[in-house]
Amino acid sequence: MTTPIAIRLSHISKKYEIHHEKPTLVEKFVRGKNETFWALQDINLTIKRGERVGIIGPNGSGKTTLLKIIAGITEATAGTTQTRGKIVSLIDLGAGFHPDLTGVQNIYLNGMILGLKKQYIDRQFDDIVSFADIRQFIDTPLFTYSDGMKLRLGFAIAIHADPKILILDENIGVGDNDFQIKSERKIRELVRGGVTVLIVSQIVPFLAHNCSRILFMKSGRIVRDGELDILKQYQQGRI
Amino acid sequence: MKQRDVYHFWELLWEMTEKELRARYKHTVFGFLWLVANPLLQMMVIGFIFTFLMKEPVKHYYYYLFLGLLVWNFFSTSLLKATPSVVFERSLIKKAFFPRAVIPTSIVLSSFVHFIIAFMLLLIPTYFLHTFSAVTIPYTLCALVLLITFTTTLSLLTCALNVRFRDINFFTQALLILWFYATPIVYSFNQIPRNLLWVWRFNPLTSVLQLLQHALLGAPAPGPAMLISNSLVILCIALVGIRTFQSESKTFDDWL
Repeated sequence: MTTPIAIRLSHISKKYEIHHEKPTLVEKFVRGKNETFWALQDINLTIKRGERVGIIGPNGSGKTTLLKIIAGITEATAGTTQTRGKIVSLIDLGAGFHPDLTGVQNIYLNGMILGLKKQYIDRQFDDIVSFADIRQFIDTPLFTYSDGMKLRLGFAIAIHADPKILILDENIGVGDNDFQIKSERKIRELVRGGVTVLIVSQIVPFLAHNCSRILFMKSGRIVRDGELDILKQYQQGRI
Repeated sequence: MKQRDVYHFWELLWEMTEKELRARYKHTVFGFLWLVANPLLQMMVIGFIFTFLMKEPVKHYYYYLFLGLLVWNFFSTSLLKATPSVVFERSLIKKAFFPRAVIPTSIVLSSFVHFIIAFMLLLIPTYFLHTFSAVTIPYTLCALVLLITFTTTLSLLTCALNVRFRDINFFTQALLILWFYATPIVYSFNQIPRNLLWVWRFNPLTSVLQLLQHALLGAPAPGPAMLISNSLVILCIALVGIRTFQSESKTFDDWL
């Protein structure tokens, strides 16, 4: 039996227009063509369900752009993207909160931005609140929350959003020590449940510990795709 | 779009609208009163000045002004707030994939809720003026449909363009100042110079206001030529606005 495919990218390229200053209408008409830069070039990638893929590479190699295209946050200039199952990214956890609304209202707003139904959030509500450990403050506006509380809440919502594809980056250290242990345990639980995981990181031991497949990216291309030994070669500077 | 996606769009839109409604008058003492106080003040000042200046007096001039100002305030605040909305909400755009149109549309919708409430308050005096009757309700509904369609789709257009060209925000602000005078708010339609009539034919708010002024205050209804040309402008803006937003919204993230 073959494992179902979670993500398939074929011939994905992404072009960015470089704007040195804030773009204006005048600039557009005066200069005509803009400078461009290809962040990704002809990426072909198939990821099966339940794979844990680590992406490594120097800064500016297109790792984040690749994740954004997979998550649907931006669209590729060329090529096709297919994904199966809800994608949740744990990258910008503090985002999508409104400071004037209460914790309760923010849980609903944030959850619905992630694509959840209201009824589904109703059912998960207690779990989210107790996971984030903010029950005492749930009725106060968000501007009274500390940064740690906001991150905990963001993580709790994302993790209860029933993701089938999870996107992480290396700075997954959220909150205090207790919460970090709790969140790591929760991620491992999801992975065991067959969730596909994509991790962007520079930290080799972190990838070695969590991934089963490694992609090495450079200048907008996937240069190497294979087992964990790519990490060793990367560390020794051989690729 | 699949049926599930459509359902989620409306659910999300309503949640965002509720957020807007809750957040707008938070931490203000008078809250909702500001909504009525603003056009009321404008009405008193403009009414006082223009009753001296106007050659032909408009019937029920203060009510006429108040009605026009309510519609105008809905239109201008919606447009002013919706145009930079995606830029302001960039953290939402960067967080996940969701139908981006909910951001400007929720702003227009929350303003519309406010507008409807103030509008209902205006209905009370028109009942005593004996200018309002059940027969004219279709005119009111028609005006409201035109108004919300035009405001929403124009906001989608300016909002989408403003992500790439931040000038649009300032352009809109400047345009609105001129637009106010090209709309029959402080004057009545028969005071417009005939040779400049084409300006009003391009301004969809003309029909909206004429329909409402007819329905509530017994002013003359818009002629068929005006109604048709205004509706065509709305249709064009709607098509261009929705298409532009759809294609631009896929790459909003690149410009934020």
